[in-house]
Amino acid sequence: MASLGRLRLLVVAALAAAGVAGCAHSPPVQPWQREYLARRALRFDADPLEDRFRQHWYGAREGADLGFGQPGGGCGCN
Amino acid sequence: MKRAALCLFALAGALLSRSIVRAEDRVTIRGAYYREPSTRVIQPVVEITKDLPNGFDLNVHYLVDTITSASSAAGTSVDSIFTEIRNEVGIGVGKTWDRTRVTLSYKYSAESDYWSHAFWASLSHTFWGNTSTIGAFGGFSLDSVGFRNRTPTCLAADGFSCPLDSAFGGVGYTQIWSPVFLTQISLDGAYLNGFLSNPYRQVANIGYEVFPDQRLRTAVSARAAYYFPEIETGLQIQYRYYRDFYPDTLPAGVSKDPWGLSAHMIEGRIYHQLSRDLEVRFLYRQYFQQPPAFWCDVPTNAGCGPTSMSVSTKYASADPAIGPIHTEYPEVKLLWDAASWESIPFFRWFAAGTFEISYGRYFQNDSFGDAHVLQTGYSMPY
Repeated sequence: MASLGRLRLLVVAALAAAGVAGCAHSPPVQPWQREYLARRALRFDADPLEDRFRQHWYGAREGADLGFGQPGGGCGCN
Repeated sequence: MKRAALCLFALAGALLSRSIVRAEDRVTIRGAYYREPSTRVIQPVVEITKDLPNGFDLNVHYLVDTITSASSAAGTSVDSIFTEIRNEVGIGVGKTWDRTRVTLSYKYSAESDYWSHAFWASLSHTFWGNTSTIGAFGGFSLDSVGFRNRTPTCLAADGFSCPLDSAFGGVGYTQIWSPVFLTQISLDGAYLNGFLSNPYRQVANIGYEVFPDQRLRTAVSARAAYYFPEIETGLQIQYRYYRDFYPDTLPAGVSKDPWGLSAHMIEGRIYHQLSRDLEVRFLYRQYFQQPPAFWCDVPTNAGCGPTSMSVSTKYASADPAIGPIHTEYPEVKLLWDAASWESIPFFRWFAAGTFEISYGRYFQNDSFGDAHVLQTGYSMPY
């Protein structure tokens, strides 16, 4: 029973240490380092209307559409 | 003191970055042209976003699809050209708190034989100094499939359409690793229940195609982006794996899962700044697909018929879109910020916006044939 209590204490201590270490770890990018992150090359959602058209055409010509977050709607091809 | 100055600088930076990610008042018009041997699609679309007080924003769009086809699957005979018009309107309302954003969206689509209502919500939250973002979305759509020249057994109370309901959702996680490198993973899924076939497509010697009435679609995707500041060039790569299933107890007479369509997709993009105002983007996509178990291309496989199919005699389809296909798509796109028009009379009205034009060639190894894809657009804050 005592060993179980020690184990529990160890787990709690390890989790707390990991949490403190994680919180203390500074983010990999600081606000003043974000210049390039605004570039289209570093944005996955830079062209939402283009994505919508691509979803439309892939959905009509391939069997594995999805993945753009906006399913639903006809394709005009029936 | 030095630490306090650093904190103030960080706060100023955070406020600056906040102003960058806020929704802005913007209008975008786009046109897309898709042309393959038997089908032509012209799609103009307009979208308006509006920033509202108290962290709210509004997004509305309207588009028209004009599809001209000589395909029998479009509900016409091969030697008869048929034009279908599809109208779509959508509205989304977003609310942004400190690091959390919620959107509610609705979309309605209507054509002569297909109507759809879709509702969905999305939630995203950033943490770890705004370098990590976790997001989720979910919703449902209620579709009605109409018919010309046939009367299927699934007709709803309206007497002329069959229902197709779906529920969909997904989660994603994006991590910024350095000022020039980020990655994203996402999972998507959708459950469809109802009339899943094309109402007009026929299978030789069998008749109208018959799909299973339920389908569970799943996909996992990974993306990465890297930017080389010294040469003003960025790279993006995406891989996606898709597979679907029959999500319920198999109907009587069906020996195994009739679905099992799987696909691998890989896409790469190169962005390069040609000048202060001009950017070029190269895109190349490859897609490989294995058909579902019930797929049966009778014209190329004479032995494939309802009595020889391994899954069941219930289902039959020769739809090229779910066949063993391989597609490739190379594309080049130019984006031009019109700032240099600032001093030119009349044209200066457009100087705050960005023009774009792209051309791609969609190679398909099935009966649809290869396609030309031309897109153009203009987006401007107001």
